[in-house]
Amino acid sequence: MDEFFIIVIRGIGIGAVYSLVAISFNVVYQSSGILNFAQGHMLILGGVFGSMFLPPDAGVLTWLALLIAAGLSIALLMVVQGYITLLPLKSSVEQHSWLITTLAVSVIISALILITKGPFALVVRDPFPPFRAFGIETPAAYAIAPILAIAACLGLGWFHRHTLTGLAMSAISQDLEAARAAGIRVRRLQILSFAISGLIVGAAGFGVGAILSISPSSPINYVLNGFVAAVIGGIGSNAGALVGGAMVGVLSMWAAYNVGGEYQNAVSLALLVVILMARPQGLFGRVLARQV
Amino acid sequence: MTGSDKHCRGSFARLDLPGLCRRAVLFVGGTLLAAWLMPAQASAEPIKIGMLAPLSGPGAQIGESAQVGVEYATKVINEAGGIGGRAIQLVIGDSQANPTAGVSEVRRLIDHEQVDLVIGPTYSQVTLAVMPLLIDADIASINVSGTDLLTPEAAPYSFSMLVNSRVQAELMVRDAKERLKASSVAILSDSGAQAKTAVVEIRNAVASSGMTVTGTQEYQYGASDMTPQLLDLRRGNPDALILFASTGDDTGHVLKGLREIGWKIGVSGSYGVALAGPGIAIAGKEAYENVAGINYRSWTSCSNGSPDPKMAAFIEGVREFRPAAAVRLPFNYVSLWYDGVFLLRQAVEANEGSTDGATLAKWIEQNSSSFDGINPGLSASADTHFLIGSANLAMVHPAETGEGGVQKRVDCE
Repeated sequence: MDEFFIIVIRGIGIGAVYSLVAISFNVVYQSSGILNFAQGHMLILGGVFGSMFLPPDAGVLTWLALLIAAGLSIALLMVVQGYITLLPLKSSVEQHSWLITTLAVSVIISALILITKGPFALVVRDPFPPFRAFGIETPAAYAIAPILAIAACLGLGWFHRHTLTGLAMSAISQDLEAARAAGIRVRRLQILSFAISGLIVGAAGFGVGAILSISPSSPINYVLNGFVAAVIGGIGSNAGALVGGAMVGVLSMWAAYNVGGEYQNAVSLALLVVILMARPQGLFGRVLARQV
Repeated sequence: MTGSDKHCRGSFARLDLPGLCRRAVLFVGGTLLAAWLMPAQASAEPIKIGMLAPLSGPGAQIGESAQVGVEYATKVINEAGGIGGRAIQLVIGDSQANPTAGVSEVRRLIDHEQVDLVIGPTYSQVTLAVMPLLIDADIASINVSGTDLLTPEAAPYSFSMLVNSRVQAELMVRDAKERLKASSVAILSDSGAQAKTAVVEIRNAVASSGMTVTGTQEYQYGASDMTPQLLDLRRGNPDALILFASTGDDTGHVLKGLREIGWKIGVSGSYGVALAGPGIAIAGKEAYENVAGINYRSWTSCSNGSPDPKMAAFIEGVREFRPAAAVRLPFNYVSLWYDGVFLLRQAVEANEGSTDGATLAKWIEQNSSSFDGINPGLSASADTHFLIGSANLAMVHPAETGEGGVQKRVDCE
């Protein structure tokens, strides 16, 4: 029975990482219609930041300061990425050059990590002691990840409902042309959405780096599972991303434990198929009316 | 005799050659010079060696070692006059540890670059995928792959510098039984093609030894949490864990997982388990306390002392050649690729410059035991194209590593 709870705790922990990637997908998607496939790489860059700058004797304050610094650094990087991605697009829904741009950024980041840091996995020290749960030692990052995911979800909810900028971004997500006609500076807000997305995923990569595999080849795993979590939850729904991430994390761990490690990915993709067959818009997605 | 002839004859005596006579002498001399130079130019044409390794993607850490080993061997051979007087021209391909990318790169090496020989690839799934192309092109190659599917029939012109699954399985099972006194084992492996054949071989070896298998599990390359697999295997209550890992990173995550769930079990590991550097960074040195892995016997000792002079020179040479990379490279693995190039050189020179696949393969089958490289005494034959046999290997304590990666043998105790 203990094993079941261990699987659930770790599944929720790693699932929260997928949720954070899914939420960062949502932020960019809602304002621009772009799915940024470099999100997994931005997450890993947050981890690289941790491996480089987190001192061995870091206390909580140092860790918090570096968490913010990692988020801001990746946010800045994503502003550049957002600008380049949006540059050729009069409106992001009119063409699909972003597909190539975002994939290209992911390839470039992998290559840069490989060249500068080498091919081996980097190690990020966890400044917090592990906690014991159901008889086993569990790294603190498994608890930090859900906290960060919930904080990101709540923070974005507040931002979209209670700030003028957030309301303007919500307006863009509902009708881009109408928002532009109303005088909203669409391009600037789209780039801001890239920055917010970078802030979330960069801080996440730093904060939970101790349980991530930080190497040039590892981001693909996080971007795929993050995408699956976003689709299961419903693209655009941050609450859905929270639930979707947890489902993917727990189910893939459960599959490895009960069915075998070789079926880990197959089971989470099977979950995606089943949910899309039952609810094509995802668990928390909204069905939108379309003019025909 | 004409006046001109007389003049010409006289001029020869004084080496003063005006007019027609000088032109005739220059023509004859030029023709002779050209005739002498022609074969020299032909033999000076470089030998093209294609290298195929995962330089990006999940196997990049292995690819870096491969590239350094092959480039260093090329430098040493070219400085010594090349292969039978022909310089090596190296053409590099990136397999990305992906069979599709590997096939595409081998097509480029064969069709566009027209390489004479190939060194690599590694990762069995890539090697199996590219083998038909190499056979069709009649190209001899030295791969670094361990699947038992690479039989002389399946890979007639290709030889492997990597220890194969069967030999590794036998060594690990023997270690579990003798060192760990196990009567039952659990098996954990990665998801590669070699690991899949290795699991079958481990099961066979366990059955032959009279032990039992309590469970088998698998993880994806580069996974960071193997807790579910370890919890599942713990349910079977085995006496020992046989770990078939391809990288030190994966080994580190497995050992970290064992520590976290508090499972103190002896581990008999594969060659990848002995690549301890990255694993120690992840799990700590103490995690390797009851762990053994496989290493090439020439890279082991009982004293943890200095390597022999030949090996020491090799290590020093690599350090000078690539000082930045040498800090993190497993020298034993670099030496496999280095030796592969030297073995090809020896085969080509022994066959008067021929690069014909069948000719070189026959020579290697008959003469690999006389190879005197960093890893001497290879053991390929008409029955097996694996150059490394069980006599070339030993179980080691991965964390007890001395100068240049020489590791302490388990059988010293």
